[in-house]
Amino acid sequence: MKASLGILGVALGASSAGLGICVLARGLWKHEDRWLIVGRRFVFGVLGAAIVAVAAMEWALLTHDFSLQYVAENNARGTPLLFTITGLWANLEGSILLWVLVLGGFLAFTAHKFRHRATDPLVAWANIVGLAVALFFFALMLGPANPFRTLSSPPLDGSGPNALLQDHPLMAFHPPLLYLGLVGFTIPFAFAVAALITGRFGEGWLADTRKATLIAWGCLTIGIILGAWWSYEVLGWGGFWAWDPVENAALLPWLTATAFLHSVIVQERRGMLRVWNLSLILSTFCLTILATFLTRSGVLNSVHSFTVSDIGPWLLVFLGVVAAASIGLIFWRGDRLRSPGKIDTPVSRESAFLVNNLLFAGLAFVVLLGTVFPLLAEALQGKQLSVGEPYFNRMTTPIALLLLFMMAIAPALPWRAATADVLRRRLLLPAYAGGATMLIALALGTRGITTVLAFGLGAFALGGIVRQFAVGARARRRAEGEGWPTATRHMIGANPRLYGGLVVHVGIVCIAVALASFSAFTVRREVSLARGGSATVSGYTITYLGNKTTSSAQKRSVSVELQIHHGGSDLGVYAPAISTFPGTSDGIGTPSVRTGLLRDVYLTLVSSPNQKGRITIGVDINAMVVWLWIGGFVIALGTLLALSPRVRRRVRPEPAPLADTPTPEPPPTREPEVVGV
Amino acid sequence: MRNRRRRTYIAVGMCVGAVIAIVALIVVLSQNIQYFRTVSEAVANRHDTSQFRMAGAVVNGSVKPTTAGVDFKLTDGKATAEVIQHGNPPELFKDGAPVVCVGHWSQNGTFDSDQILIKHGNDYTPPVVKQPAASKQ
Repeated sequence: MKASLGILGVALGASSAGLGICVLARGLWKHEDRWLIVGRRFVFGVLGAAIVAVAAMEWALLTHDFSLQYVAENNARGTPLLFTITGLWANLEGSILLWVLVLGGFLAFTAHKFRHRATDPLVAWANIVGLAVALFFFALMLGPANPFRTLSSPPLDGSGPNALLQDHPLMAFHPPLLYLGLVGFTIPFAFAVAALITGRFGEGWLADTRKATLIAWGCLTIGIILGAWWSYEVLGWGGFWAWDPVENAALLPWLTATAFLHSVIVQERRGMLRVWNLSLILSTFCLTILATFLTRSGVLNSVHSFTVSDIGPWLLVFLGVVAAASIGLIFWRGDRLRSPGKIDTPVSRESAFLVNNLLFAGLAFVVLLGTVFPLLAEALQGKQLSVGEPYFNRMTTPIALLLLFMMAIAPALPWRAATADVLRRRLLLPAYAGGATMLIALALGTRGITTVLAFGLGAFALGGIVRQFAVGARARRRAEGEGWPTATRHMIGANPRLYGGLVVHVGIVCIAVALASFSAFTVRREVSLARGGSATVSGYTITYLGNKTTSSAQKRSVSVELQIHHGGSDLGVYAPAISTFPGTSDGIGTPSVRTGLLRDVYLTLVSSPNQKGRITIGVDINAMVVWLWIGGFVIALGTLLALSPRVRRRVRPEPAPLADTPTPEPPPTREPEVVGV
Repeated sequence: MRNRRRRTYIAVGMCVGAVIAIVALIVVLSQNIQYFRTVSEAVANRHDTSQFRMAGAVVNGSVKPTTAGVDFKLTDGKATAEVIQHGNPPELFKDGAPVVCVGHWSQNGTFDSDQILIKHGNDYTPPVVKQPAASKQ
């Protein structure tokens, strides 16, 4: 019943997508608007079908219907409700279901937004591309990744989700957000392909898909950060990012998408970098498919390769088709893409964006090379190898520092050309702040050029942002006679994209500082303790109080109680554990973390009590990790701000010139900072 | 004229920068490659003292705890190596466990390991480890 309903949903989705493509193609071919208007509706059919299929799966999971193979493999009677629901994305087939649901949502959102322009060939082509992507994923579920396979003799109890996936509530948020991000890039991709096919490169489509791109980017960012958080809270090795191939797979499209978000501003303002922007958005989509391939095909062994399946070749072929079509389209339209504008001087906003883009592209290349190198080596030489973390750390650190530097100066650079006076006025104070921070860091005993530079550049960037806010609000206050809070609110409302972007930059500074501190100041020690014994690591005294064994239908855990003292004050009792789940022989460590603004005490149980009652625990004193999560929160806030509609006030003309004024640089009598993106 | 010369300088500068970046990339990449070898492959390459990952199964009854860590023998069914592990082995380290040791050959023919990875969700296990069922001795 549930299986039939699910298959029905998948089949309906596939046929909606297929029919939609045919109807739209006929409409385009015959120039009949009627067909285009009807064809658009199939997008909602895709969404409806995806909802039916997902509902069937959730129904089966919630009723523990083990006649479905997927439920039997990813659910058990003892699985708690939350992890029963999240079972939808515990495995390959289910995550493809989630994928089509999210894709259906994005396509429907876009189709609704463009409902008055359904007869526009550009929109019709974009719908065709979107539907084609949906068709591919529905076809995967009809073929090799069918989530609704049934078992002739259902087991009495299922084996439950992978142990790592039923240990932390973050699992409920990390994968869906990541999917919202990865799938969302289908929309700008579809419009980019449509623009190439129709030959209409007017900047219209960029602005029109900006919201979808930004939503996708925000979700991907938060998804990645939540993944790092989950890794920190669950995996118990003390870190949050290991340059694991699958982590890299999610980072790659993020890098190109971030580059795109920046360079698209140049195209909107100056009409430049068209080929570049199209390439970025096309490669972002290719990288999302590559991410799915790396994660789901089992070619790379990693924390995420829970399933080995035969969809690898399908995804690889799809990736090949998408990449070949993208490159072909760009070559075909290359001559028409020539930009009207050009960069006037090297010290200007547009060249800063260009440098930013080169850095992001370089970063993406470095990460891509390190990620696929083992695959290439095995394919070409038949040797198994891995690329060590030092490669990634050493190659990405200088690029990341340069990006931080660009982030500090670029928002202060005016378009077209900068004068020394403007630069001095806008950058001197923040630069002093950065320099002072470096001196203070050195005086406090920070060593390591990278860390000191990261702190200094972080302060430099932060100083610039604070200044930009202060100057903008002050100008508004003077012009309108408003109080600081009102002036700030109105200033942001008048250009949410600029100020939202700056808030995102604040989040990035938090993350950069956290990463630099973490890599410089973290102390890790393994100690062996008898009951009642204690050990001191960097001023934190850990005392072993006792251990406890708990059993439930879901798992059996051994936990040890550890009391933490620091400088005479009691920080409480923490209990890291090792759990074993029925059906698996592996033990899963659960770290216990005492979070602080400056330092986390991260405790892991390395080995449970031996015959003599001694335990081995890992004690990590991790610096400033919480700022990664705070940074993520700030980025989410900034993205929401940038998505909020612009408030136009009619009472009086804007006191300060806004983005659309193409004048070179405002006269020096007025503070020109409010000129922005 | 001035413009063209400036453009040439910029182009040359960018090319030089790109070459330096690519050379740095290749050097750092080649320094950080770790090969995976089964025990027999590793034994065949004993002259190579660079760091690599050795995959095999722990020989039953060979585990001896030491003050620094643990000594044991690792086998893939064809060859056996003596491993000296510095640091505590992970919780699931036991007789017969399929493990990957990260380290290098020492002067006296033993394998100095700094890290033991167990076939476990978050650790890399090359596919070869799964095969040697014949490792029980």
